[in-house]
Amino acid sequence: MSLAIETKTFRVPRWLKRHETLLAIILLIALVGLGLLNDRFLTLDNLLNQGRLMTEIGLIALPMTFVIITGGIDLSVGAIVGLCAIMLGYSWKTFGFPLPLAIVFSLFVGALAGFINGLVITRVKVPPLIMTIATLALYRGLAEGISQAHSVRGYPEWFYFLGQGDVFGVPTQLLLLLVLIVIAGIVLDRTTFGRALYAIGANETAARFSALSVDRVKLIVYTLSGFASGLAAWVLVSRVTTTRMDMGIGYELDVIAAVVLGGTSIFGGSGTIWGTVIGLVMIQLLKNGLALTGVKGDATIVVIGIALILSVLIASSLQRRRD
Amino acid sequence: MKASLLTTTTAAMFALSFAAGAANAASKWDGADDLPTSPLACDASGAAAPAAAKPYDGGQPTNAPDKSGKEITVVDVPKLIGIGYFNATSKGMQDAAKELGNVKVTTDGPTEAKIDEQIKFIDNYITRGVDGVMFAANDPVAIAPVLKKALSKGIHVVGYDANSTPDAREWFVNQAEFNGIGKSMVDSMAKEIGEDGSFAIVTSTFTTPNQARWIAEMQAYAEKCHPKMTWLETVEAQEDNNLSFNQATTLINKYGDKLKGLFGMTSVATPASAEAVTKAGQCGKIAVVGLATPNAMKPYLKTDCVKSVVLWNPIDLGYAATYVLRAVADGKLKPGAASVDAGKLGKLNVVNGSEILLGPPFIYTKENIDKFDF
Repeated sequence: MSLAIETKTFRVPRWLKRHETLLAIILLIALVGLGLLNDRFLTLDNLLNQGRLMTEIGLIALPMTFVIITGGIDLSVGAIVGLCAIMLGYSWKTFGFPLPLAIVFSLFVGALAGFINGLVITRVKVPPLIMTIATLALYRGLAEGISQAHSVRGYPEWFYFLGQGDVFGVPTQLLLLLVLIVIAGIVLDRTTFGRALYAIGANETAARFSALSVDRVKLIVYTLSGFASGLAAWVLVSRVTTTRMDMGIGYELDVIAAVVLGGTSIFGGSGTIWGTVIGLVMIQLLKNGLALTGVKGDATIVVIGIALILSVLIASSLQRRRD
Repeated sequence: MKASLLTTTTAAMFALSFAAGAANAASKWDGADDLPTSPLACDASGAAAPAAAKPYDGGQPTNAPDKSGKEITVVDVPKLIGIGYFNATSKGMQDAAKELGNVKVTTDGPTEAKIDEQIKFIDNYITRGVDGVMFAANDPVAIAPVLKKALSKGIHVVGYDANSTPDAREWFVNQAEFNGIGKSMVDSMAKEIGEDGSFAIVTSTFTTPNQARWIAEMQAYAEKCHPKMTWLETVEAQEDNNLSFNQATTLINKYGDKLKGLFGMTSVATPASAEAVTKAGQCGKIAVVGLATPNAMKPYLKTDCVKSVVLWNPIDLGYAATYVLRAVADGKLKPGAASVDAGKLGKLNVVNGSEILLGPPFIYTKENIDKFDF
């Protein structure tokens, strides 16, 4: 009897048990720890700069959260970044489009690439993993074929504002990311579209019988994923001032790592934008903090890997306790 | 009988070489480009024909602290880490740092040659605060903004192996100029097959920029310094191992005894040509000289089928870059300087405005090749 009372008094509040909260606490501890180890880490200058560097991954991580919540995956995002970067450069330099039109065109190509993923996944019922592995090769191959491995350079000065400029001291692209984070958060949390994503991921058959237009929703999330990859390509080209066909190689893994670290279940049905943002910031700042503290590149990757495994362990043990 | 055959062959060869020589004078070699050439002097000094001095076109750090004689911390960010080539440059840097005593060099970089990863590495080291950055760029333009950022924070920037746009760094240590490679290739060949030997070239394609430039320089240098050598033919073999082997075999069969030497213009064509000569049982009769990495050529040097491989020495390259950075920090190497002192390498010359030439290419032979692993 007395035991029961005790457990009741010491019960951990529900919000504290959430994966995102735990992750945020770990993030804070890591920040303070790394900050104590290195006096250049917790400076406004460094943090804003890290914000600049993580924007491309962050932009893609938002729709990737949607995709994974529906129980899908998109491995072709890195290849779409490469394709869009090449389309931007080539439509401007070789086809002679005015640069603003070239940007719009490259965003359109990104959305189209995502749309094709979604179309085949929903119509032909190819598993997303297989379809996007195939388009990963296909889109990268297109980028290579179109560019013949040549790069495009010499953009006008105004083009660099997005990737290298500041607005009130904040990197331009970080502002773009912040706005999109808020929009994505609201969409996922407060709209029927957002709730449909969870419903599809939790039980697709049930969602279909509940008269949800499952295929349309999926088509939209894959298109968004392609569009965001196009956006990331624009930011990246503007930041590094050149277009190369090997841009974005390996992005899919960084993006998925951020989303999964943020507590989105790879089996679909659960996850939040806030979790993804914390996951994204955590990976970026861990990498940066470790580098500044004198850990070399290869060792940093090991630490990131261990952090991922730990987070999955924590998540699954929480899940079991809830069950 | 035998003697008469020999005379006939010799006569035929002379006639042929004369004809080919005449043709040479009239037309450029297959695979050479039309750009002007600047062959080096025939003797060992290798002095270049005086070119119009180009003004300094590098960038300068803003308010770099005076570190003259004081210890400096330098980071080296190569294209990628964990491969033999950049392990060798890194070793050269450590050698130089040990000699100098007041330089601390760390090599750190991406495990794949990815430009955005490389940028992040340099960016982190700028934040961490170093006195100098050495780099080998994955992309000459993409790396420029982050290097300019380093300069703007008073950090010295020196490139090696792969350049950036000139204004994004102070100096670039250039491992080899086209005319230097041309001279080393032709000199090595002349040494092996004699002044009147005939040779053929296996290249990637006639329009590949680097190869076309090298062939043009080889032609100019051969005409100037080894006028009796005969060029038979240049064949294209992409950068394909199988095709290179087949093309080399075809050349051996086509020209028979006339063919005394093969030039390999790519790191694929050279070992493939050596393999073709080995398979044809012509080792010792047909010389192979070419650009290649040591590891690919070790087997052929061991069997004496190949005597000289032309490339530069990456250990010396890293060593020179470190000395250049030290000289910049000491204020000894200023814009407009004509040379820089680089320890055991002696004085290195400034070329093309803001580049420092490592010197003549390095010839790998049976004796020295085991020191290299890339």
